[in-house]
Amino acid sequence: MQEKVEVQPILSMNSVEVLYDNVMMAIKGVSVQVPKGEMIALLGSNGAGKSTTLKAISGLLKAERGRVSRGEIKFEGTDITGMLAQNRVEMGICHVIEGRRVFEHLTPDENLTAAAPKGMSRSVLNAEKEKIYNYFPRLAERRNSLAGYLSGGEQQMLAIGRALVTQPSLLMLDEPSLGLAPFLVAEIFGILQKINQEEGMSVLLVEQNALAALEIVSEGYLIENGRVVMNGTAEALKSNSDIQEFYLGGGEGTDFHNVKHYSRRKRWLS
Amino acid sequence: MDLVFLAELAINGALTGLLYSLFAIGLVLIYKASSVPNLAQGGLTMVGAYVVVALASDVGLPLWLAIPLGAVFMFALGFGIERVALRRLAGRPVVMILMLTLGLDIFLRGVTLAIWGGTSRSMDLGVSYEPLFLGDIFISRIHLVGAGVAIGLFVAFMIFFRSRSGIKLRAIADDYMASWSVGISVERGVGLSWALASVVAVAAGVIWGEIQGVDQALSLLLLKGLTVAVLGGLDSILGAVVAGIILGIIENVGSDFLDPLVGGGSRELIVAAVLILTVMIRPHGLFGRHDIERV
Repeated sequence: MQEKVEVQPILSMNSVEVLYDNVMMAIKGVSVQVPKGEMIALLGSNGAGKSTTLKAISGLLKAERGRVSRGEIKFEGTDITGMLAQNRVEMGICHVIEGRRVFEHLTPDENLTAAAPKGMSRSVLNAEKEKIYNYFPRLAERRNSLAGYLSGGEQQMLAIGRALVTQPSLLMLDEPSLGLAPFLVAEIFGILQKINQEEGMSVLLVEQNALAALEIVSEGYLIENGRVVMNGTAEALKSNSDIQEFYLGGGEGTDFHNVKHYSRRKRWLS
Repeated sequence: MDLVFLAELAINGALTGLLYSLFAIGLVLIYKASSVPNLAQGGLTMVGAYVVVALASDVGLPLWLAIPLGAVFMFALGFGIERVALRRLAGRPVVMILMLTLGLDIFLRGVTLAIWGGTSRSMDLGVSYEPLFLGDIFISRIHLVGAGVAIGLFVAFMIFFRSRSGIKLRAIADDYMASWSVGISVERGVGLSWALASVVAVAAGVIWGEIQGVDQALSLLLLKGLTVAVLGGLDSILGAVVAGIILGIIENVGSDFLDPLVGGGSRELIVAAVLILTVMIRPHGLFGRHDIERV
């Protein structure tokens, strides 16, 4: 693991353990650093502890009767380990939870309004909405229909847009590609990359779809059984033979460029 | 039967129904934010009425001051209930919260009985008991006032739910976890809905207290209020108003037909039938929200 000493990371998580119901340990000493303005991915299979890691950071653990039992989480130098979720959102951490979870009985426009921070003026909110509709033109078209009737991709866009209204400096996404067609995944990841570059927003991305994630992040962590087992730059991870075999779908002797090529062709066909 | 009499039954039924709506709006407010039918709404209504009577006749304040003060007190009480009792249950099964509200209702009844005893007290709003004549039709003035209050509250809440805090409350009703994730304080939202429902309870308590006296029986309004709320769809304020009018008319006109046949008491039967049939035939009520399923 290489330390970046020159800039303080926007988020640093040190040997964090999480207990659910005081008995079940979901993550066992996870350390993750997100440097300012970078996109970082947490990779791993189902139940590895990726979502728990995000919930520990956003404070949503409490709602599921989980708690951080050891370690500390620092956001911009401040210890946030015991803070309420809403205060963390105010500080600039926003968590796009798994499964989209838009407010179904509200319109997309109302979904965005609901997320407006306390004291945000109407004009700022409207400007914020316009910006989001610019990123996601599909949402703009359907801004006044019920969010529950949007397509899966549109709902994911809305979930991301809703998080952007809180003006986060760290955006965390839990499996944004889940259940979406490959071309939509490409579209959404492209927009994430654009937001990251244009606004300098740091992004922490949890993905099972390692192939898509490693295309846009600069660094990745691999989590297995509640522990970080590997950490490195996206390039290093992509060329790692274990990762190729278990997470990128390539077997021994498979050239990675072919894998990529294959997936791209598939994308066009679908 | 002549038409004028039928019209009189229907109009007065509709007005009484709007008074049920007045009660049901409180239920809907809490249901909207926490998806729980608040079984303590009857108790809250009774407490609201007692507090106003106590401020007016025991402390000696004029009514125009006693009612707003009572509303402020109840607003705080509603927030307090969330803070003390409900917050611990956030995220638990709905059945537990339901039981909690039932316990709360019993508790509120016990408290009022202990403080004010069981004798009925009068509200004395000063509304004349002289009936109002609309052509040949008798109309009760107090019912008319109450119906006006119900419609006023309806309009106020329709506007409120389009405002930013109203939208946040609706978001909370949709998804607690997603609300937390974007920094909405679910606890405060639920507290606010209880506080608003408690204020509505003051309005209902004052009007119903004037009509039937302030005593323990006020808490039994829950049965009719719940019927109206279920018929309207539990989470629709418009539904509560429309269903109130419908139930009021059915009850008033229907019982006039049925009472001679069964020898009285058919009102309760009609209310029960409406509640049971609604749940069986149309569980979402008239205007209730369906769970969205995309095809």
